[in-house]
Amino acid sequence: MSKLLSALENEVQIGALLFMTVVYTLRLIWIFRFKSGRERTTAAGSEAAGISYSLMNVAMPWAMESTRKRPWFYAQFVIFHLGVVAAITATFIIPYAPALFKVKAVVRLFQVIIGAACLVGLLRFIRRLRNPTLRLISTADDYLSLALMILFFAAGVLAVPNEYRKAEWPIAIFFGLTAFFLIYVPFSKICHYLYYPFSRYFLGRTLGHRGAMPPGMKGKRTCLPSSPDGGGSR
Amino acid sequence: MKRRKAAVSGIADAPLDTRSQERARLDRIPSLAPDRLQTYDASADNVGRFLRLLGERITRPLAVSLTACVHCGLCADSCHYFLARPDDPTMTPVYKADQIRRIFKRHLDWTGRVVPWWVHAGSPRNDEDLNRLKNIVFGTCSACRRCTLNCPMGVDTGLLVRFTRGLLTEVGIVPEGVFNVSRDQWETGNQMAVTEEEYLETLQWMEDELRTEFGTPEVDIPVDRPDCDVLYTINPREVKFDPRSIANAARVFFVAGEKWTLPKWGWDQTNFGLFSGDDKLGAYVARNVYEAAERLRAKRIVISECGHGYRSTRWEGYNWAGYDQKVPTESVVVTLQRYLREGRIRVDPARNPDPVTFHDSCNIARSGDLVEEPRWVLRRVVTDFREMHPNRRENLCCTGGGGLLSMAEYRPLRLEVAKIKAEQLKATGAKLVCTMCHNCIDGLTDVIKHYKLEMKVVQVLDLVSNALVIPE
Repeated sequence: MSKLLSALENEVQIGALLFMTVVYTLRLIWIFRFKSGRERTTAAGSEAAGISYSLMNVAMPWAMESTRKRPWFYAQFVIFHLGVVAAITATFIIPYAPALFKVKAVVRLFQVIIGAACLVGLLRFIRRLRNPTLRLISTADDYLSLALMILFFAAGVLAVPNEYRKAEWPIAIFFGLTAFFLIYVPFSKICHYLYYPFSRYFLGRTLGHRGAMPPGMKGKRTCLPSSPDGGGSR
Repeated sequence: MKRRKAAVSGIADAPLDTRSQERARLDRIPSLAPDRLQTYDASADNVGRFLRLLGERITRPLAVSLTACVHCGLCADSCHYFLARPDDPTMTPVYKADQIRRIFKRHLDWTGRVVPWWVHAGSPRNDEDLNRLKNIVFGTCSACRRCTLNCPMGVDTGLLVRFTRGLLTEVGIVPEGVFNVSRDQWETGNQMAVTEEEYLETLQWMEDELRTEFGTPEVDIPVDRPDCDVLYTINPREVKFDPRSIANAARVFFVAGEKWTLPKWGWDQTNFGLFSGDDKLGAYVARNVYEAAERLRAKRIVISECGHGYRSTRWEGYNWAGYDQKVPTESVVVTLQRYLREGRIRVDPARNPDPVTFHDSCNIARSGDLVEEPRWVLRRVVTDFREMHPNRRENLCCTGGGGLLSMAEYRPLRLEVAKIKAEQLKATGAKLVCTMCHNCIDGLTDVIKHYKLEMKVVQVLDLVSNALVIPE
């Protein structure tokens, strides 16, 4: 293995990871600087149940009309994000547990998942280009983030066999892109996963408190019968 | 999604009408004060004030809703504006939310501050831009929150729209109707400027009718009676246009043997602060109700059928007013359910033989907690109840929500997009559409009239009162 590839797999990745961690920490501090109001009403439901339901929403395509009516869209979402997980996992397996990619079945599994995610990424890119609604709202960041993901997946498919003796360039591109991602992601829309727990938490907390989330939970509310319950049937 | 040709509505160009604001200034009405009602001043730095307030007022839930959107476009088909105008991408919730998001990014977010063009960040340049923003957040969204519940990321577009409306209200860049109703509620404590004399006379009139009906002076509509179990709060529309709904409530309370009262002040449970985004107005109006309950030592606040009134008085108002809830606060529909469960009233559903469907108010079903309660009651007071689809938390807005009924300039678009609601209503085959919201009554009545549907709008209390078995 060349020194360049070794550095890309190790020192560069660690440096980029550290950078991302620092930026994410600052980002979290930034979020917490905004005030969060205090709830002054008595609950009609359970905040904990609302928050749990809201956070689990990602795994419940039936919970929202928007995903329930578009099973294929939801399937694309699952495939794409499984691809992300597989590709990120590969960036750790290659330098730290290369023996795993000596098993052909494992390599094939990773290639299928990442390859499918790459196809989904392409479909999503075409959708973004063709649909007037998406074109109107899409930013340069939206296009670049998706394009980079497609490239990252494509490089991942080629890199996971980890045959650096045959050719180093697929692995070098894969790790080069990874390092770039780690630095770029905190400033792009890709870091939406950092906000997801917050946005879903607040929605779940508010609607859970009111007994509106999860649906059908109101009868199982947590407030004591003798307390001012603020309405709703018991 | 299919390829579509863009065709924007043009509503964003509607001019700012400030005639009412100018009249209010000339009349020197008392509510024109720095901590109350604001008017538009063309010579002021409105953009600067808007941006300053944006920075000051943003909360954590708002900040994450502004940053979390991934522009997936899944919200589009949840919006009745976009469903009715699929060729107009400016009707999507994400586009509407992006109008405030881009300003947030330009002034508060990292990437937008450094490379604004990269993330479509931008700043309003002048009052024209703020007026354009006004037309989008007031004219193309009823803040029904259907998109919020359909967003995989949990982005609360309804909250963002209300927040933006609130900033614009602070610089007087609002539709005429919003200014007028806000003024009335600041000035008179109720949004239809009902005078105390008019209020008391209407109650007396209804009491006289009930006494004639029952043949006894025992039935009454008490005002400011202390130590009651129920403090009943109403919508000014009931005094102005539908006083029989007050009589209906009084009839049920009498038969149920309830110890109840209306307050002389603090009787308006509606709250235009919810629509204008003005938390100060919201706090003032809600506090009137809570203080009335405290003053009269009422054990429970009961809110007559009103969607935004219920949401404001039951949920948002306590937070706006910084007032910890002390007494249970409930919708009259919940009260009716309790009476039926406890056998305090008896009903005969045969008296309501027409097919009835139920329209869920957005503010009650999506932003509140009452979904099954009205259905529970309706199934006992009508013989033919049928659901509309979608229903409950997925129901479509009556199209009059978000204060849109008071904004005449957006009426043509509102009625155009109401075709979705009209189709939904028609498919039920019902003769009566029941709703527990006065706003929805007017919104649905407009839809029914415009699309020539053979339907009538009623409320739960109307049907209960009609089915009520009066004991010998």
